[in-house]
Amino acid sequence: MTVMATAVPGSARVPGPSRVLRLEIKRSVVPWVLPLLAALFYFDTIRTASGLPPVWTLRASAITDHMLNDFDAFGAGLAAWVGSREGRRKTGDLVAATPRAAWARQAAALGGTAFWLLLAFLAGVAVLYVQTGLQATWGGPPLWPVFVGVADVIVVTVFGFTCGTLFPGRFTAPLVAIAIFLLDFAGFHAALNVTAGSSTYGLLAPDTSPPPVDAGVFYHGLPDVPIAQVMFMGGITLALLGVLGLAPVLRKLASRGWPVRGTLVDGDGWWLRAIAVVLLAAGVAASWTAYSLAGTAKLTATGWEIPALHDAASDEPVPFVPDCTSGPDGFRVCVHPAFSGYLSDVAAALDPVAAEIAGLPGAPVRAEQVASVGTGPGGFEPSYIAGNPAVFDYNGEQVGDLFGGFRGIPAGAGPFWRAAFQQGLLDSFLAEPPHPAAAARTGLAPLGAAQQAVEDALMIAAGSQPPQDAVQGGQSGGPSQAQITAAARRFAALSPSARHAWLAAHLRALESGQITLGQLP
Amino acid sequence: MNIELIHVSRSFGKNKAVDGVSLEAGPGVFGLLGPNGAGKTSLLRMLATVLPPSSGQLRLLDRDPRKPVPRREIRRRLGYLPQNLGYYPSFTVVEFVEYFALLKEMPSARVSKAVAVALERVDLGAKAKARLRTLSGGMLRRVGIAQAIVNDPELLLLDEPTAGLDPEQRVAFRTLMRDLGERSTVVVSTHLVEDVGAACTEVALMNAGQIVFRGTPEELTARGSDHGIGDAPLERGYSAVLSAARS
Repeated sequence: MTVMATAVPGSARVPGPSRVLRLEIKRSVVPWVLPLLAALFYFDTIRTASGLPPVWTLRASAITDHMLNDFDAFGAGLAAWVGSREGRRKTGDLVAATPRAAWARQAAALGGTAFWLLLAFLAGVAVLYVQTGLQATWGGPPLWPVFVGVADVIVVTVFGFTCGTLFPGRFTAPLVAIAIFLLDFAGFHAALNVTAGSSTYGLLAPDTSPPPVDAGVFYHGLPDVPIAQVMFMGGITLALLGVLGLAPVLRKLASRGWPVRGTLVDGDGWWLRAIAVVLLAAGVAASWTAYSLAGTAKLTATGWEIPALHDAASDEPVPFVPDCTSGPDGFRVCVHPAFSGYLSDVAAALDPVAAEIAGLPGAPVRAEQVASVGTGPGGFEPSYIAGNPAVFDYNGEQVGDLFGGFRGIPAGAGPFWRAAFQQGLLDSFLAEPPHPAAAARTGLAPLGAAQQAVEDALMIAAGSQPPQDAVQGGQSGGPSQAQITAAARRFAALSPSARHAWLAAHLRALESGQITLGQLP
Repeated sequence: MNIELIHVSRSFGKNKAVDGVSLEAGPGVFGLLGPNGAGKTSLLRMLATVLPPSSGQLRLLDRDPRKPVPRREIRRRLGYLPQNLGYYPSFTVVEFVEYFALLKEMPSARVSKAVAVALERVDLGAKAKARLRTLSGGMLRRVGIAQAIVNDPELLLLDEPTAGLDPEQRVAFRTLMRDLGERSTVVVSTHLVEDVGAACTEVALMNAGQIVFRGTPEELTARGSDHGIGDAPLERGYSAVLSAARS
């Protein structure tokens, strides 16, 4: 075989810098680590996402909360390994005697590393989105998590590469990987601790606190925070590229303390140094601006809003046609089309108890899913019955006080899940004040002993095992749980018509707390 | 003149590695001899524009290497083989030489052919697709020579180029140096005086940062005719000049 036979066909037409980049891509170390990244991606990101409802925004949160954490440490470490290559392999003199600027040479090596990492990241996103696309019943793939992810992968790659260039030792790569791992951990911690009353700078971490189950469903996902995150990381990237361009100068200054002015014109020429300084300044300015913007963020019903970046059109609800089913006695159960897969589970839970109270004053004729983020306890919209005819509004995150929402279904759609959902409806029906929506938004009044006993009885009659809660009133000296359970069993043992007749006659008194356990039939 | 040095010095802290060297050289093979620590490598690094002189004037290929634009022009016409050749183990032979051809800003259309020619000249055509990590020390040295000559340099700087080469390869390499020296200035720093005798048209001997002898290999041989130690005539000349310089 001759040497000419090894030449790549058509390579003569490719410009020199592109050929250098192609060589760097071809001989990058990143592909060696891709199997490990793929395993991490499967066991962390995909398995986590698979446990979430197939709602686009929710599944996409696995990109920033899991995938990036897996990628960052490896990406930064690999980039540091490549960045330190000239120092480790002692090619410094050899490459320094060539005319191509050090910056251009490093850009090719950096580009080769970033190419593989971005390709791996985007391939992972594609797998996640294809999987979600096959399961989702509404909506489309959100792009902002992808933009944030790309910015994150780039910034950790450039960070690692710059560290490797400035400190070219064999321990640089592992140290950088560990540093990025810890930084990710700190960022995740900061993101989790961002609340309406706290400092909001933690929002700049690409990680987010777990979003509501219906994020991006009833309202558009606000791009305000992702914009600030991309600006912040983009700024750091620019600044690091500037530092990379100034690396020879910084090295000389560190080693010899030469006058800055003389050093700046040394090396690859003053104009390259000038570009590096401009990049550094622009990067710092962009990051500082993003940092300042993050400080103005405030939590609204539609998510974190940054006034300077906010588009009011994002606040408009997303139109949709609910998926509904009709149960016995004309009771309809509706879910958002994004949760169509849960309709039968929700209907199976609510229909039996709806049948028990059908026709009673204030009994709901329909159950509708509403947005989960609201002004109630924990920042969630409480479930309540309102309107005429009465409608039971529930959300996918929480029904009543203890419902776990749509997370984990269908695997979690067992007896407890059903009972909790039924309890949410009955709490709303039996609580005082029973129906006014304004009062319901501040949370439901706790049930008294007789109300609790009736609720338990209705659940037993509907075939469920009521949770063994203590009396929510919590008064000392009140009836014991055993007494409530006994009363519930007694009431449940009545015939359906007898229960219904008693409730029709005593519902108002029961709601207002005027019925005692002893008065229950 | 391709090389013009006027009182060039280079210090590392208090240690003066090159001390007031003045030198001129045109096309031909120029041998640089001297004991360890004489300053040969520092002088070669200055000629390679890797190391700026602490003082003195340096002109290469009729250009001033202190200025960025002329320095870039010099580097385009420069070939350099350092004493310790660093390399990237995952690169193949052809990729490594191509990489340096591209770093030397050769026109893209010429690169593939130039790489092939360079590899054939060092007899590495059969190993073109071998990874560098699989090569022996002598083969790596030939890869280093190939990357140095790939751009057909006007100024070729070789620091210990024959270290690790077998006798057959050394003979072939001397022929290559003579061939290159017909059009270019080839500076060869070496401990092996037989290389100098066989290939160089001119030789300089360095000691303690200074050039203590400059002439033809025959003139150096003549210095050792009366005294000097060594097996070969050139070695005796080498040792005689060094003894005189140290006394």
